[in-house]
Amino acid sequence: MFGTLLRFRLRRDRWQLAVWAVVHFLLAYLVVSAVHTTYGTAVERANTVKVMMVTPAILLFRGTPQGTSAGDFMALLGLTFIAVLVAFQSTFLVVRNTRAEEALGQTETIAATAAGRWAPSLAVIALGVIANVIAMIAVAIGCLAGGLPTGGSWLFGAALGAVGLTFVGVAFLLAQLFPAGRSANGWAAALVLAAYVVRGLGDATGTPHLATATLTPAWPIWASPIGWAQRTLPWSPHARVWPLLLGVAAFVVLTAAALVIQDRRDVGAGVFAERRGRAAASTVLRGPIGLALRLQRGVLIGWITAVVAGALLLGGLSGVMVDQLQTAGAGVINALDEIGGGGGSSGSLLQAFVNVGAIFSALLASAICVQGAMRLRQEEAAGGTDAVLSTAAGRMRWMLSFVVVAGVGAVLALVLGGLVAGAVAGDKGGGFATWFWAVVWEAPAVLVFLGIVALVFAVLPNATIAVGWTVFGLAAIFGLFGPLFGLPQWARDLAPFAHTPAIALPHPDFTGGWAMALIAIALVVASLVLFRLRDTKPGA
Amino acid sequence: MKAADAGQPVIETRGLTKHFGRVRALDGLDLSVGRGEVHGFLGPNGAGKSTTIRVLLGLARATAGEARVFGRDPWREASALHRRIATIPGDVALWPNLSGGETIDLLVRLRGGDATSAAYRSRRAELIDAFQFDPTKRARSYSKGNRQKVALIAAFAHPAELYVFDEPTSGLDPLMESVFTRQVGRIAADGGTVLLSSHILSEVEKLCTRISIVRAGRVVESGTLTELRHLTRTSFSFERAGAGGAMLTDAQLAGIPGVHDLALAEGRVSFTVDSDAVAGVLPALGALGVQGLQVAPPSLEELFLRHYGDVVPPAEAA
Repeated sequence: MFGTLLRFRLRRDRWQLAVWAVVHFLLAYLVVSAVHTTYGTAVERANTVKVMMVTPAILLFRGTPQGTSAGDFMALLGLTFIAVLVAFQSTFLVVRNTRAEEALGQTETIAATAAGRWAPSLAVIALGVIANVIAMIAVAIGCLAGGLPTGGSWLFGAALGAVGLTFVGVAFLLAQLFPAGRSANGWAAALVLAAYVVRGLGDATGTPHLATATLTPAWPIWASPIGWAQRTLPWSPHARVWPLLLGVAAFVVLTAAALVIQDRRDVGAGVFAERRGRAAASTVLRGPIGLALRLQRGVLIGWITAVVAGALLLGGLSGVMVDQLQTAGAGVINALDEIGGGGGSSGSLLQAFVNVGAIFSALLASAICVQGAMRLRQEEAAGGTDAVLSTAAGRMRWMLSFVVVAGVGAVLALVLGGLVAGAVAGDKGGGFATWFWAVVWEAPAVLVFLGIVALVFAVLPNATIAVGWTVFGLAAIFGLFGPLFGLPQWARDLAPFAHTPAIALPHPDFTGGWAMALIAIALVVASLVLFRLRDTKPGA
Repeated sequence: MKAADAGQPVIETRGLTKHFGRVRALDGLDLSVGRGEVHGFLGPNGAGKSTTIRVLLGLARATAGEARVFGRDPWREASALHRRIATIPGDVALWPNLSGGETIDLLVRLRGGDATSAAYRSRRAELIDAFQFDPTKRARSYSKGNRQKVALIAAFAHPAELYVFDEPTSGLDPLMESVFTRQVGRIAADGGTVLLSSHILSEVEKLCTRISIVRAGRVVESGTLTELRHLTRTSFSFERAGAGGAMLTDAQLAGIPGVHDLALAEGRVSFTVDSDAVAGVLPALGALGVQGLQVAPPSLEELFLRHYGDVVPPAEAA
């Protein structure tokens, strides 16, 4: 029974597993290659790591300095980001196979057979374990292909696999608590990002040891599953396996707790009971805009909160950074420029940091756009589109409502983020106006994402979700690692963020910003026109 | 009702064709629904009923042929037409985190209704009561029947000129079906036009004034129930033992005019007669003094089966 169910799950998820494996491999391989090209010698690495050690803002986004070998750099620059991806793979996988199915009634179909109560869940957990073993192997092979030592590569892979495993447990527990797949996914995403930020606080507030180019992170690192993976110190002489066991133990405890809860609840029910709704619609829910706002409320609140929280951290750290860097020399600044995405231009360290902060905010805000446009397809597949189009609301109005809500939400996120970052940073941290405009000028690039995904929806509706996540994933990788990869200029130019006016620099060029705004508008208009030409296609 | 529309059919399609890749969902479908009709749209799964409705609502565009709703193009003028139309889709899709009450109000507002008007509030309250519906639950927790009720209440709570129902009673219990029947009676009395797609024959028989039967993307039969009945036979059966207990002889039975499919089983005689020849049979039966006579008009089921041939006995088709 268990075997049948597991084979069924494996078969259904085989493409996702394959795509994720390729992504993990490529990412590990590309970051290692970038480390080799950008920081080829031990001297270069030693210089860079010393700057980073006194720059909490950089450590927040990267990891723990643990030495000057190429492997140590891989752990410093690549671990936390790949960990976030592995964690997302796990949470999506578990929720997709548990609560999302349960909400559709498929679980009931299986529960009505001889499968019993436990076998279906155990099959999903086994799938999660298999997925993370594959992730471990893919990452390790990526590191080996990049020429890193064997032992460290496998420890690195295993550490990331353990992060994924922990989040299998987290997502499985969340799936028991919430009655809707979307809520479980939303909370899982929040916890993944929280794990990233908490370990970041540990790294940012750690104690640097300049002589050995290592850093002892503060206690928050131990409060995060990603932090446990970092503490294995792969490739370092002090590498150890035991922190991995924390991740495995967390997986076992969370899974056991979830199974106990599952054993006590009805199929289809959550632990948090469904709240009653209003008996009548409020005045807001009066048309397509009201509906779009209502349906995207959770996504908007979640990402806007993330942007503001990120802005708070970035703005706060920019002041601290200046204090700590009073003594840093000019050579140091060039090294930082490269990490920060200043592209080796004449910008100062602070300017580079403002730039990173703006891109980071833009990335979070573009999630609103990508998810907003994907919502068009989700609505169409679920039949909500037909329900609305069977009324007096036309196609244009329906589609525009979702696009406008997502677009306005993203711009609002940037404006709030810019205000908060600027206010917290103050004059010492770069100045209010610099921060504010740097973040707000990301808006055109962010809106391009909305246009791209909306256009795909209009032309190739079945590809919307896949393209949406791919575009977002690429943006995240290029936004955070782009400068490190040393790509040719034309490839960099493909990323919308590359055309954002660099407000922090002395003479920002606004042409790119206006061009992006025009492209975003053109894409949206084209998608509106093209959607009017096709049949709606409910169903998957 | 607009004066300009009087006389012309509310729905009219000519040679309507819709291809999905190589599948011909509609293959030259001609349908005409007049004002004030409750028009039954019959056919098994996959015959093209839902595709026709999707074209009539402007959700899908016809590959060829013409469709007119109130004399206008349903694809180009969808929103304007939809102010006059109420629909119940075949698959009722609800937004999981909206309550039933919110969904009803939203759908009515989207149709151009005023959710705060007194007329609407009282009609809505009446319907919620009649359908025994709890409007405060979230849509994701509704059963199939309750999801159906959301669509039904939204359709009936705000008046329309045309009601397009795609298998409206699926998931409803018999009690709720009778509430539905009453509501259709009410809108028909108010002069509304109804297109009722269904494969529940008793429902169509009870409600509809005209019927179109679809098969493989075409309308194969259309007319009033009486007209369609003329195309089939009435069945008779009675006991073989006559008034005095004596068995009727084969010769006596052979003397009855216009008999088809004569059969003897469990002491009863049964046969069918062309519907226009029934009057000639009755005197003969009277003369024979038959006992336990049962006469059944052709059911819609027989009409239906006639067009989906395979199950009909060969004699019937002869």
